[in-house]
Amino acid sequence: MPMVLLKCDSDIPERQKHIYLKGPNEDSTEFLPVANAPTIPGTLSERGCAFCGAKLVIGGVLKDTIQMIHGPLGCAYDTWHTKRYPTDNGHFNMKYVWSTDMKESHVVFGGEKRLEQSMHEAFDEMPEIKRMIVYTTCPTALIGDDVKAVAKKVMKDRPDVDVFTVECPGFAGVSQSKGHHVLNIGWINEKVATLEPEITSQYTMNFIGDFNIQGDTQLLQTYWDRLGIQVIAHFTGNGTYDALRGMHRAQLNVVNCARSSGYIANELKKQYGIPRLDIDSWGFNYMAEGIRKICAFFGIEEKGEALIADEYAKWKPKLDWYKERLQGKKMAIWTGGPRLWHWTKSVEDDLGIQVVAMSSKFGHEEDFEKVIARGQEGTYYIDDGNELEFFEILEHVKPDVIFTGPRVGELIKKLHIPYVNGHGYHNGPYMGFEGFVNLARDTYNAVYNPIRHLAGIDIRDENPAILPVKIREAA
Amino acid sequence: MEDHIDDLFGYVQERCLWQFFSRTWDRQENIDGVLGKAFELFTGKDPKLATPADKLFYADAKSMVSDCLSRFPWIKQADEAEIRQVLDGLKARLVDNVITKSTNRELTHHLY
Repeated sequence: MPMVLLKCDSDIPERQKHIYLKGPNEDSTEFLPVANAPTIPGTLSERGCAFCGAKLVIGGVLKDTIQMIHGPLGCAYDTWHTKRYPTDNGHFNMKYVWSTDMKESHVVFGGEKRLEQSMHEAFDEMPEIKRMIVYTTCPTALIGDDVKAVAKKVMKDRPDVDVFTVECPGFAGVSQSKGHHVLNIGWINEKVATLEPEITSQYTMNFIGDFNIQGDTQLLQTYWDRLGIQVIAHFTGNGTYDALRGMHRAQLNVVNCARSSGYIANELKKQYGIPRLDIDSWGFNYMAEGIRKICAFFGIEEKGEALIADEYAKWKPKLDWYKERLQGKKMAIWTGGPRLWHWTKSVEDDLGIQVVAMSSKFGHEEDFEKVIARGQEGTYYIDDGNELEFFEILEHVKPDVIFTGPRVGELIKKLHIPYVNGHGYHNGPYMGFEGFVNLARDTYNAVYNPIRHLAGIDIRDENPAILPVKIREAA
Repeated sequence: MEDHIDDLFGYVQERCLWQFFSRTWDRQENIDGVLGKAFELFTGKDPKLATPADKLFYADAKSMVSDCLSRFPWIKQADEAEIRQVLDGLKARLVDNVITKSTNRELTHHLY
């Protein structure tokens, strides 16, 4: 049976609908894991909350915006500094965290005054910052604080500021995916077309669904600069609040992360007629294809080919050095959702790696359609996986490396399986040509790291099972 | 003929994100648009690029046509009628796979 009931799930057989083992000649019309559905009681989900999806993933990336979190302190701290999205203005977004620090009395008597006071305090402390996003959290949503009314009042008191509100408490959806959705739709409805951007090129686009993880956006920006394409708005890597207000003026929306940001691209197409082009930005083959498509749209194919040729000449030999050493290695990808389908073919085609298991925390069924179409037979496709399932799957597929977050990464280290940070990266950027060499290097360093083999040796054992020769096999 | 449709279907499934857009109408629009431009390119016609949508479908089709010409030698030998037949078969297969038989529960939601 292609839908798999793992031994660890014997008491929660509903999990079978979420785990698929692809067989020969099967496709997603026959077997598609149920996704974006409520977590089944009894499973220890690794999902984030809806608020986290709005703040940590999208809003908190902006480099010129106060992120006012209306709730208890923990909601602010736990969505701050856990993702590495630098900016070119000194990483303002990563240096500071803001919270209304709700206490019991505010919950009992209402938190609107507290919010208003906090907003003024933040603007007073940072007079050069004129933009703010206010987020509700579980307690402030439950007590019904009217954050939009407070934002309106503050904007009236301070005519030079602009405030956007995101009403998406943690319980609003089944995972962080709901937060992506709420922020996308709120922004298009309330803020897009409230400011006219300055147009500096005959070729304009928005780059949507890239969050400048360790410099992804800044690396890709060097390509767009060389091609003479103006990026009106980055949604939201290294982006600004006001640039996002001018998204309606772009000629093309280029989408990388269709899960977190496809909604705004769809609405920009529906409301403003701007076409949506989905590309993959990880991998040589994919990046070249993405550049070719963008250049074909604008009729500047020759420029694109010259750029690709330059980048291949510079980086392909390095990639090939790693490919020779990573050929045939087995990888598991346990991340959010889209990186499953972005990466499975790119690591296979560009590095010769076989992806043997993939798990998505917040992907929808659309993401599983994509990854099952691209992924291999004999590979596991898992929705909302939990730790026990991971351990059992590991026994079946025995990967050489796992791309996942630090929390799961620390767990699998104990099994002497290396992990690479699939969310915030080890040493990125990972997008683009240079970036994929970085990914290859981090994968190589993980797979051939001698420490993990040494850590598996019991020094009291006179005949250790793992011989030192193992640690030199990369040479 | 079926073998040729299999070739193109396998390629599109593996490479093309446009078949998996959010809703049925987006998928149908992309399938019609990209395959329409692909036909023009396969048969040596100059594609019309009057609208932003024309340019988008052209951009996606151009990559597809280039890849398919290098992967599948039979395309260069095919005449216009054969290309039309294969692309019609591909369209039917794609509509069946990513729209009609898709079990994605969000495909028909009226809102994004």
